[in-house]
Amino acid sequence: MGNKQSIFTAQQLDAYQDCTYFTRKEILRLFYRYRDLAPQLVPLDYTKQPDVKLPYELIGSMPELKDNPFRQRIAEVFSEDGEGNMSLDDFLDMFSVLSEMAPRDLKAYYAFKIYDFNNDDFICKSDLEKTLNKLTRSELTEDEVKMVCEKVMDEADLDNDGRLSLEDFQHMIVRAPDFLSTFHIRI
Amino acid sequence: MTSFLNRQDSYQEYDYFPGDAYPGDHHSLRLRRLSSGRSIHNIPHYNPSLSDGGDSEDDNQGQPRELRSLPRHMAIKKAKLKSRGIQVPVLSKAEMWKQDKLKKLQKLQNKAREILFFLALWGKTLQKIGGNFGGGVQSYFLFLRFLVILNFVSFLLMAGFVIIPSLVFRQVGVSFMNSNSTGEEICTVYEPNPPGLVVFYDYFLNLLSGTGFMEYSFMFYGYYNNTMVEDRNFSYKIPLAYLFTAIFYFAFCLICIVTRMGSAARVAVATGGSTAVNYSMIVFTGWDYGCLGDTATKLKQKNLLYRLQVDLEEERLKKHAASLTLLQKFGLHSLRLLMFLLVLGLNIAAFFGIFYATRYSQAQQNQSAGIQALFYEYLPSVVISAGNFLVPLLCDQIAKVERYSPSITVIVALLRAVVLRFVSLGVLLFTLWDQITCKGKINDLKCMLCGYNYESYPCWETRVGQEMYKLTLFDLLINIALLVLVEFPRRMVVDNWSSKISQLVGRQEFVVSSSVLGLVYSQTVVWTGALFCPLLPLINTVKFVILFYCKKITLFSNCRPPQKTFRSTTSAFFFLVVLLLGWMLASVVLIYSIAVIRPSLGCGPFRFSDNMWSVVPKSLYSLPLVTQEFLFFLGSQAFTIPLFSLSSLVMFYVIALFSIYGKSVRLLRQQLKGESRDKQFLVKQIGELSQ
Repeated sequence: MGNKQSIFTAQQLDAYQDCTYFTRKEILRLFYRYRDLAPQLVPLDYTKQPDVKLPYELIGSMPELKDNPFRQRIAEVFSEDGEGNMSLDDFLDMFSVLSEMAPRDLKAYYAFKIYDFNNDDFICKSDLEKTLNKLTRSELTEDEVKMVCEKVMDEADLDNDGRLSLEDFQHMIVRAPDFLSTFHIRI
Repeated sequence: MTSFLNRQDSYQEYDYFPGDAYPGDHHSLRLRRLSSGRSIHNIPHYNPSLSDGGDSEDDNQGQPRELRSLPRHMAIKKAKLKSRGIQVPVLSKAEMWKQDKLKKLQKLQNKAREILFFLALWGKTLQKIGGNFGGGVQSYFLFLRFLVILNFVSFLLMAGFVIIPSLVFRQVGVSFMNSNSTGEEICTVYEPNPPGLVVFYDYFLNLLSGTGFMEYSFMFYGYYNNTMVEDRNFSYKIPLAYLFTAIFYFAFCLICIVTRMGSAARVAVATGGSTAVNYSMIVFTGWDYGCLGDTATKLKQKNLLYRLQVDLEEERLKKHAASLTLLQKFGLHSLRLLMFLLVLGLNIAAFFGIFYATRYSQAQQNQSAGIQALFYEYLPSVVISAGNFLVPLLCDQIAKVERYSPSITVIVALLRAVVLRFVSLGVLLFTLWDQITCKGKINDLKCMLCGYNYESYPCWETRVGQEMYKLTLFDLLINIALLVLVEFPRRMVVDNWSSKISQLVGRQEFVVSSSVLGLVYSQTVVWTGALFCPLLPLINTVKFVILFYCKKITLFSNCRPPQKTFRSTTSAFFFLVVLLLGWMLASVVLIYSIAVIRPSLGCGPFRFSDNMWSVVPKSLYSLPLVTQEFLFFLGSQAFTIPLFSLSSLVMFYVIALFSIYGKSVRLLRQQLKGESRDKQFLVKQIGELSQ
């Protein structure tokens, strides 16, 4: 491949390689994917670090994300402004965490943030209900939703405060062998 | 505020190992467990020296934490990177070199892992199957791949030690033992290829039934002679090789199964019993983020809905069962007992059917010729397959009456199918034994002369091998026939003819449990027949490869993605347990054939011994004296009793360790609960004091 690309400086690419789980090739490929979302907004020259943010509507229309019921939460968690408008850095960060090589604790941290709809660092009953409805297309009855939320709290809430903290969540994830393979987007 | 600090604490203590998180791969589970084990032991403590938004640079081991696993925005990571670069390097040149080499080594390991994955047999196909159809179907194909490799390696074993030496030494060797028994001459007559004109289609019939030109060939036991080759330093006795290869083959298969079971069990134990965190597991780890496309997403959502509803239904049933009156309970239990007796009756009817079919077919085999002979040859296989198909169908209908909870229904159906398959194979073998040894009575008229039923079975081992060969072949033919005649037409009918019936029936769903039982059954047949038909593992390898591609084609063309899921972690363990049961059945047959039944006098490498095992003592005496004494010592009490006590000691130690780990996990969990309660109390105190 060589150093024939002129989008990033060598230091920038090295920095990206150190900060994400991607190789040079993959970073460039992801850059082109990012650019394809809005070619007129994203410049081909990132050496001056332009401040370009793509709005959430474009991010949410990516084929990998457009059918995911949690796409809005994913974009909100990984964007700096919390509204879903992502710069290239956020974009790379997102796919790095969702890639195969990210360790379980990192993924668990971000999964916790995704399921925490009201951003209060706890997963409370209303967060759980929203998660359930997204998972089952709101086809569970009210009673069933309530029962499932109760069961989840029973199983996972270790400190008995009626909501799940990050430790509770991580403790539960430890016992899920397929978490790593489900919390994974291939791009 | 406290929650933010909590996050900082707990995060800094959760270590990781670089490159450890390859998903879905059993090998990486060990590394993952290592990392989680460390995090359990490192109890989070409050570190008041934390700076703004940053965790301490070094973790417990003094190595700088990798930036990529830091859960912060990219801008913060880049800033840290810059600050690290500017920092004066504290490490000496040697340390830096070591770290550089470590990084290169890790990159090499990653590359090697990628290549290995690429080279693994059918790796990509299995991934595709897992992605489209879920873990349950993928575990079936993983199991099939394991069996293919097992059979192929066993074939290499057999080829290396029995078939090739037989081939090479056939002309060169001398007869190992000469007949010094006053056996009747008539017992040693064995003519597999009677002289006379052979009709052209006979070759095809012979291929299907293992008789004729196939009978006296490397396929079957009867072809091997008790040749022995002796040189200055090298001697090779075919009978001994045959026996030891068969025994080693069984031991090797056992070791493979147990090793694989160990890794599957480790997963099951590490997750601490899947029922304990059922709901939270489904809710938080059920969604597959890699799901693409609208239909796949809807399907996955339906899947999750179904799973949750099934679990809720079980809860309801449990509550309902607990609230029944005594009379109702009595009624339900007596109904279940009745159904159980009915199922038992059905099974016994099937077994009698197999018994009579086998007896009839064995009687008719010697008298008919041509296509009719073929029909009689395959009669037992047909009856077994029909029984294995019909009886579970009826049992499914009966299960609807029994009204067990859904998970218990599945387990009961599986157990019934397993018992049916193994016992039907057992009945077939029993019938054969019955015919060969005249119901075990040596003094019976037919068996008195030679020790076995000479008239019908001049070479009974070959006959048993032929039966196993026919069972294997028939199984493959039935699978292909089902594929062509049932599954493809069903898909075409459902797709092109829209009516109520076709909507009701719908496309096929790939049923994992019955397919796995079919595989276990074929493998048991192969194990039973391996002693009598050394090429059977090779035939089975080819058969399983064909089966893999057939099932793959039918999966992608005809089947719809499963709506009901099968928990893949416990099910891999379950498959191996059932396989082990099959192994035990086959080993009983092996031990019996080696130790008890008299080998045929007319064919095979053991024709001059009373039983197959007696070649071992005879050859033992030709070894040098020192080796003989050593081997005798190994078998004597002075060695076995200490060995036995040592192994029981090790077993008790491991059991104690296991229970200690369980206890410590429980203690730690309680400690966690206690700590969080302390935290809440302290927070409340701080709140009160600050007012």
